[in-house]
Amino acid sequence: MSGDLSTPGQILRATGLSAGYDGRAIVHDVSIEATPGKVVSIVGPNGSGKSTLLKSLVGVVPVLGGTVNVGDADITNMTPERVATLGVGYVPQIDDVFPPLTVKENLDIGGYLLPRHEVGARIEAVLEFFPRLKTMMSRRAGKLSGGERKMLAMGRVLMLRPSVLVLDEPTANLAPLVATQLLEEYIRGFAEKGSTVLLVEQRAKAALRVSDWTCVLGGGRVVLEGPPSDLENNPIFVESFLGGGAPRR
Amino acid sequence: MNAILFYLATVIVYGSVDAMACLALNVEFGFAGLSNFGFIIFQAVGAYVAAALSMGPWQTSNGGFQQYVFGWHLPFPFPWIGAALAGGLLALPFVFLVGKRLRGDFAAVGLLVSAVLLNQLVNNYVPLFNGAAGISIVPAPFQGFFNPQGLAYQFVYGALAVVLSIAVYFILRRITESPYGRSLRAMRDNDVVADALGKNIRVQRTSIMVLGGMIAGLSGAILVGFINLWAPGAWGYAETIVLFAAIIVGGAGNHKGAVLGAILVPLGFEEITRFIPPLSNPSLIPALQWVAIGLLIILFLWFRPNGILPERRRILSGETSRSPDPVVADEASEPLINLGKIDQMDFRSLLRLEGTATQHDVVLSTNKLSRAFHGVTVVSDVSIEIQRGRLTGLIGPNGAGKSTTLAMLAGTLAPTGGTIFYEGRDVTSMPSHERARAGIIRTFQLASEFKKLTVLENLVCAIPHQSGDSFRGASRGKRYWGREDHENIERAKEMLDGFGLSQYADSYAGGLSGGQRRLVEIMRALLAEPKVLLLDEPMAGVHPNLAHKIGDQLTRLVDSGMTIAMVEHELAIMDAFCDPVIVLAEGRVLAQGTMAELRAKEEVVEAYLVG
Amino acid sequence: MSVFLSSLGFGLITAAVLALATVGFTMQFAVTNVLNLAYGSVMINSAFVTYFLNVHTRLNAWVALGGGVATGAIVSYLINRFIFTPFQRRNLPPITIVMVALGVDLCGTFGLQAIVGGSYFSFRQSPGRLWHFWGMYFSTLQLTIIGIAVVVLALVHWLLKYTRLGKAMRATSANMNLARNSGVRTQMVISTTWIISGALCGLAGTVFAMDTGVFDATSAQLYIVLLLAAMFLGGPGEPYGAMLGAVTIGVATEVSAGFINPQYKEVIAFVVLIGMLMFRPYGIFGKEKTL
Repeated sequence: MSGDLSTPGQILRATGLSAGYDGRAIVHDVSIEATPGKVVSIVGPNGSGKSTLLKSLVGVVPVLGGTVNVGDADITNMTPERVATLGVGYVPQIDDVFPPLTVKENLDIGGYLLPRHEVGARIEAVLEFFPRLKTMMSRRAGKLSGGERKMLAMGRVLMLRPSVLVLDEPTANLAPLVATQLLEEYIRGFAEKGSTVLLVEQRAKAALRVSDWTCVLGGGRVVLEGPPSDLENNPIFVESFLGGGAPRR
Repeated sequence: MNAILFYLATVIVYGSVDAMACLALNVEFGFAGLSNFGFIIFQAVGAYVAAALSMGPWQTSNGGFQQYVFGWHLPFPFPWIGAALAGGLLALPFVFLVGKRLRGDFAAVGLLVSAVLLNQLVNNYVPLFNGAAGISIVPAPFQGFFNPQGLAYQFVYGALAVVLSIAVYFILRRITESPYGRSLRAMRDNDVVADALGKNIRVQRTSIMVLGGMIAGLSGAILVGFINLWAPGAWGYAETIVLFAAIIVGGAGNHKGAVLGAILVPLGFEEITRFIPPLSNPSLIPALQWVAIGLLIILFLWFRPNGILPERRRILSGETSRSPDPVVADEASEPLINLGKIDQMDFRSLLRLEGTATQHDVVLSTNKLSRAFHGVTVVSDVSIEIQRGRLTGLIGPNGAGKSTTLAMLAGTLAPTGGTIFYEGRDVTSMPSHERARAGIIRTFQLASEFKKLTVLENLVCAIPHQSGDSFRGASRGKRYWGREDHENIERAKEMLDGFGLSQYADSYAGGLSGGQRRLVEIMRALLAEPKVLLLDEPMAGVHPNLAHKIGDQLTRLVDSGMTIAMVEHELAIMDAFCDPVIVLAEGRVLAQGTMAELRAKEEVVEAYLVG
Repeated sequence: MSVFLSSLGFGLITAAVLALATVGFTMQFAVTNVLNLAYGSVMINSAFVTYFLNVHTRLNAWVALGGGVATGAIVSYLINRFIFTPFQRRNLPPITIVMVALGVDLCGTFGLQAIVGGSYFSFRQSPGRLWHFWGMYFSTLQLTIIGIAVVVLALVHWLLKYTRLGKAMRATSANMNLARNSGVRTQMVISTTWIISGALCGLAGTVFAMDTGVFDATSAQLYIVLLLAAMFLGGPGEPYGAMLGAVTIGVATEVSAGFINPQYKEVIAFVVLIGMLMFRPYGIFGKEKTL
C-alpha cells in the first residue's frame, strides 16, 4: 500500500454557519471543526440537515451566514470547482460517479486538477488502495455493484490528493459487511495517514465506532457533540434517533 | 373612399379569424398547458375541408384544372360545420403525443414536426388538395344569391366573422371560468398532482385538443370563404409561431390577452407592412417581418413573460377589498400559524365522513409488492395491511422504499410485481385518477401546490363530484353549477378558517411559505373526501409545534372513521400518533407494531443506528 | 438492385452531412439540455459566409470553408452565452426555451434572407469527375464530403474519448455537480462545447449547401426534421448514437426515395421521430442523456 496516498491534512472549520436553498435556512448556526488525522462524524435523523450542511461547506448550497475555512483560506460561498483546487474532496451521497464513463475515465476526471504527467502514477496509487477496481477499469461506472461504485467514488476523490475528505453517507445502500469494511478499513485509514475526514453517517453506532468526535444534528442545529465514548451512553443520543420527544433545541 | 371600406372589411375578417385562432390556442396553451406547436394544421384542414365541400366535383368544376377530394357542392353552412368537425377529428391522433407524460419540449417538437410534414405531404400529393398550387376559386357562401365582390356582402361577411369570434370568446370563457376550467389550470400547473386528485388527464387533454381543433377549423373555413383560395404556402409551420407570439405578447391564460395579441401581432404586422412602399428587394419586408416576430418572442419572454394582459387572479372569497397580493411569508412566521379554531371544526360534516372508528377491518393491502428502477430493486415483496379507522405509520431509513410504496398504493407508480387490494378489489392496474375517485388520496413529499391557482382554488378544485367539473357540465353554464360551486367555496373557506389561513384565501399558492404550503396540501387532500388518506412526509419542513397540532387533527379524523397511512421521518410524531407502525428497510418489511414495541426490537434499532 | 445501390450511394452522402450536423446538435443538448431549434439557421448562415468568401472574395474553397466553420462556432457560442444561458438561469420550463430557440431561428433565417434576398445561390465549383464503386456513383465533391465527415467524426471520437477536455465534456453532461466537485470549470467546458458543436454546425451547413447544389436562406428549415429524427433515434445527448442515427436516417430516406416518390422521403424520418418520441424518447439503447 503506497504511503503517498494521503496528503497532510488541513483544518476544516465552520463557524456560526447557516445555509439553505432560496434564502431559506435549513442549517442554523452550526459550528464544527475537523482536524488532520481525525474522523469527525455528523449523525442525526432524516431531514436534520446533515447533507445540506456538507453541501454548504463545499460550495454546492449557498451559505447564508457564518464562515467556512480550510486552513487559512476562507472558502465561504466559493464555487465547488475552486473549493476542489484547495484540496477539499467531496463525495455526495447519490450521483457519486459518472455512470456513462468507464472506471478509468472516472478516475481521470478525479485527477483533472493534477498535472497531466502525474495522473497515471496517481491512478496506480489509488488502485493500490482499492485493488478491486483494477480488474474493471474499462467497465462503465453505471454497471458496477453498489460497493464497487462507492469504492470508485472514493477513488475518484482520492485522485485529487485531498487534504480534507468530506463524505456524505458513504455506506448508504451498502451491504452491512461492505459498509463496515468501508468505514473501519478505508475511511479510518485515511485519517490514520493524516487526512482530515468529515463524515455524515446515518448508521449512528457505526459512526461512533470510527469517529474521534461526533456531532448530533437535529432540526438543522447541533443538538449534542462530543467524543463517542461520551455519547454512546447518553440517553439524548438514542432518543434523538428513536423518538420519545422531538429533538432538543 | 370605397377602397378604404373594402380594406376595412378585409381587416375585420382577418382580425376575427386571427382572434378565433388565438383564443383557441390560448385555451390549449395558456389554460390547459398543451404546447400545440402544430396548431396551424388545424386551421389549414378546416380551410381545405370547407373549400372542398363547397365546390363541385373537380372533374367538372371550372374545367377540372384542379384536383381535390370531396367536391360535394354543399350549401352554406355545411362546409363550415364540416370544417369544424374535421379540425376536431384531426386532434385525435395528436392526443397520443400530448397525452403521454413526455417532456414538454419533446412533445412540442413532435407536433411542430408533424405540422412540417403534413404541409409537405399536402404540397406534394396533388389528388388531395391540388398540391402546391392549392385550391382556388373557392365559392363564397351564398355566392349564387349575392355578389361576393360587393361592399355590402363583404361587410355582412365581416359582421358574421365578428359575431362568430365573439361567440367563441363567450363559449371559451364559459368553459374556462367554471370548475372544469379550474381543473384545466390545475393540470397545467402540475399534471401528476391533478391526476392524483382524480382528474382524468387524458380526457381533459383530449377534450381541449378537440375543442381547439374545432375552433381552428372554423376559423380556416371563414378565411377561405373570404379569400377564396388556400395553398400550402399559407400555412407553413412558422404561422403557428406567429400565433404563439401573439399569445405571449397578449398574455397567456387571459382571453382578452389572446384577442389583443391577435390584433397586435398577426393582424398588426400584416397590415402595417402593407403601407410600406415596394422596395427593390421584394422579399425584404416579409423577411423583416419574421425577424420582428422572432425578436418579439425573445424580448417578451425576457422582459414581460406574462404578456400585456397577464392571467387574472380569481378572487373566490368574495372579499375583493382584501389585498390580493400574496403575503410575503417566511419561515419565521410559521410558529405564528394559528390552528386555534381547528378543534371546533366538524370534520364529519365538512368532509362527509361515514362509518365509525369501531371496525378495524383491512381497507387497503398489498401482496408481495415490488418495484425496480432500471434494474435496481427499491421495493421487494412488501406485503402490508392498512386497517380502517387507524393511523398507520411507515418508517424506515433513507432509501427504504417508503415513498415508493406509498406511490404504488396511490397508483402514481406502477408496481413491477405484486398486487394491491382496496376494499376487497384488486386495484393493481387501476389508474391513479380512478383510485382517487374511489377514495384513495395521496399527498406528495415535494411541493405540489398548483402555483398559479389561489389557495382557495387549490382547495375547491379537489372537491369530488362537482357538476361543473366536466366539459359537459361546464358548458351548461353557471346557472347549472353556480349554487353548488358556491357551497363548495364555503366549505373550503371553512376549512381554511379552521387552519388559520383565511387571510391567504386569494393569494397564489406558489407564494406561500413551506409550512403553509404543507397545510394547503393537507387541506386539499381532505377536501378530496378520502376514505384512505396517504400522507408522504406531511410534517417535513413544518415547525414541531405545528406538526403536533396537525397530528392531533389526524387523530380526530381517524376517530371519525377515516383511514390514514403516513410516511414520516420524525419518530416523535410516530410515537405520539401512529398505531400500528410499519418499519421498512432496504425495500422490505422489517417489523410492525407500536412504537414502544418496535423500540424494543433489536433489528429495528440496528436498522436505524447500525444498519 | 441497381436502383438500390445508386440510392444507397445518395444515402451515404446524406448520412455523412447529417452525421456532422446531428453530432453537434446532440452535444449541445448533452451539456445544456437545450433543444436548439435555431441550429438549422446557424447552418445556413455559415453556408452563406462560406459562399460569400469563396465566390465574392474569391478565396480558396478550403479557406472559405474555414470561414463558415468559424461563423458557426462563434454564432453558436454567442447564442448560448447571451440567450440560452440567461433564460436557463431563470429556471423556466423547457418549453419556454424551445420558444426562445424558435424566435432565434426566425431571426437567423429571415435576417439572412433580408440581406441576401429570396433568390437561389449555388457554389460555382464543378462536382469533379464521376467515380464508380460497386454500382454506386460519386462525384469528387461527394467523395470529398464523405471524406471530411469521416475525418471530422473520427476527430470528435478522439476528442471525446482520449482528451482531457473531451472527458470533461462527457463528465459535465453526465453529472455537472460532480464534475465541479472534481475541479472541472463546467462553464468553460460548456462554452467550449458550444464552440466545437457550433463548428460542426457551420461545417455541416456548408457541406449541406454544396451537396444540395442550389440553396437559399430558408433551405435548412426542413433539415431540423432529419436532425431531430437522427438525434432521437440514437438517444438525445448521445454523440455516438447521433452518428448511428444519422447513418440510419440518411440511408433510409434516400433508399426509400429510390422506390417511392422522392418527395416523400422525409416521411420515413418523421415516422421514426414520432415513433421514438412515443415509445423510446431516450433512444433505442439509452435511458437518459449522457455524452
